[in-house]
Amino acid sequence: MFKSAGSVERLVNQLARLPGIGRNTRLAFHILKLSKEEAFELADAIHEVKEKVGFCSVCNNISETDPCQTCSDPSRQQDIICVVEDSSDAAAIDKAEGFKGLFHVLDGRLSPLDGIGPDDLKIKSLLERIKNNNISEIIIATNPNVEGEATAIYLSRLLKPMGVKVTRIARGLPVGSDLEYADAVTLTRALEGRQDI
Amino acid sequence: MYLKSIKISNFRNFTSLRTDFYPRTNVFFGQNGSGKTNLLEAIFVLCLGRSHRSASDAIIINQDANFYRIEGEIVKKSEGVQSLSVAFEKGGRKKITLNKVPLKVAELYKNFSAVIVNPEDSNIISGPPSVRRTFIDIYLAQYSQDYLRTLVDYQKILAQKNAALKKEIDPTPFSELLIEYGVSIMIKRIEFLEEIKDATSGYYHQISGGDDLCFQYKPSVNFNEGMVSKNDIKEAFESCLAKNREREKIVKTSLVGPHRDELYFSINNLPAREFGSQGEWRTAALSLKMAVYHLLRRKRKLNPLLLLDEIFAELDQKRAESLMQSFDNLGQLFLTTAVKPPEFLKRDSRNYQIEKGKIIDII
Repeated sequence: MFKSAGSVERLVNQLARLPGIGRNTRLAFHILKLSKEEAFELADAIHEVKEKVGFCSVCNNISETDPCQTCSDPSRQQDIICVVEDSSDAAAIDKAEGFKGLFHVLDGRLSPLDGIGPDDLKIKSLLERIKNNNISEIIIATNPNVEGEATAIYLSRLLKPMGVKVTRIARGLPVGSDLEYADAVTLTRALEGRQDI
Repeated sequence: MYLKSIKISNFRNFTSLRTDFYPRTNVFFGQNGSGKTNLLEAIFVLCLGRSHRSASDAIIINQDANFYRIEGEIVKKSEGVQSLSVAFEKGGRKKITLNKVPLKVAELYKNFSAVIVNPEDSNIISGPPSVRRTFIDIYLAQYSQDYLRTLVDYQKILAQKNAALKKEIDPTPFSELLIEYGVSIMIKRIEFLEEIKDATSGYYHQISGGDDLCFQYKPSVNFNEGMVSKNDIKEAFESCLAKNREREKIVKTSLVGPHRDELYFSINNLPAREFGSQGEWRTAALSLKMAVYHLLRRKRKLNPLLLLDEIFAELDQKRAESLMQSFDNLGQLFLTTAVKPPEFLKRDSRNYQIEKGKIIDII
């Protein structure tokens, strides 16, 4: 038992590197209890994903092909780019099926506290895309928090002089909720972003 | 509203304490160091999720423990009895629940209200500017429901901007956000201070026997007095930031914004900080808190809990009595005194004798 403790420790340490887990031995012991086949399948899946999945050289989204499926799909609108912080945001927007344009993944948000400035985001490749492909609109879909807002402000200042239309996704009331339960900040923003009907 | 009962674990010098309270006046008496002030502090933390004395939750944990927990039953006309709890474990996050459902600090401010008057209050007049801003923030957050959220976001923006300046990253996007949030903070501060201005002078006049107390809001963003439109303040903020842009780069910190606001007090037209006495400072702070208490009462349509720590030390019997009379038929009151409670406090009250972190007698 003592001999194997080192490898259990190693597994715990590896799992702890994943977000939201921490040094949780329960997960390690759960893996220990799996059959050999099940455990190897998990290991294989991790192995495979790292072998096969890389990043699209155009939009920087995760992809098994380069360019990715979205970028090489001719049925998508080629002149609209939705800018997001992470691949998971692109996946969420794509799942909603309301958007048929292209994506651009910044790979983060402005956060000087974490040492992340504009140079650490995939902004240069976005500028190239706008210059080289007749892009008519950039939709900024960064998160509605301090860092996401700052990123949006930075991008709009940078992109507007290029003559491209820059829009920001609306911030406001969640569909299916009641007005009376909304907090004032959300309500104020929803009012500011009101639209003609 | 009133606090019906409290249960305290591992908070300052209390290891475990449970007691009921009287809906009107509750007097805690005992020797120095017995824990009277800590009990007031526990009530304050229960209502607002933070200590009025210490910014750190780790400090207020009993030294032999690694967590504190305060539970209480609060009675409100509209909602009946509600159970509230605030708990903090070392290295963890503060957990607040209302009727067993997790609650954010901002929600506490929406639901409950408390005003504390204590000996350290003279610092509001004589201490560094940060003490005055903390005073404004704690009570303005109870006055205006959105203030706390705006302030928390403002502090995040400020931290990011300062980090940008230190690491030589372009701070412009954070400066823009700083203006947006900073303007709404300033507007709220102007409104709140305007609301308590006259009442503060009035109470001071009454307690001091005829002296004049005035205060003036001095935002770090200079704008003409009377200029209170959102756009005017925004423009003033923008030009002030522009003027300081180069200096901010050199000193690597944000020089302009509500985090640098000041409040100036004067007594009989002399600057109170330089010329005031200890007694004047305390009376000024007491007047300020009284004005806040009555404002919150009016605005929130509930009686905030009023916590008075050792206020009889500086007031003679006549003034103390007239002060207490002004609270007659109002809300619930908690007060501490090192000496045996004076006669006039015995009306409509319950007295708790405290010794070494325990209640040893209730009269």
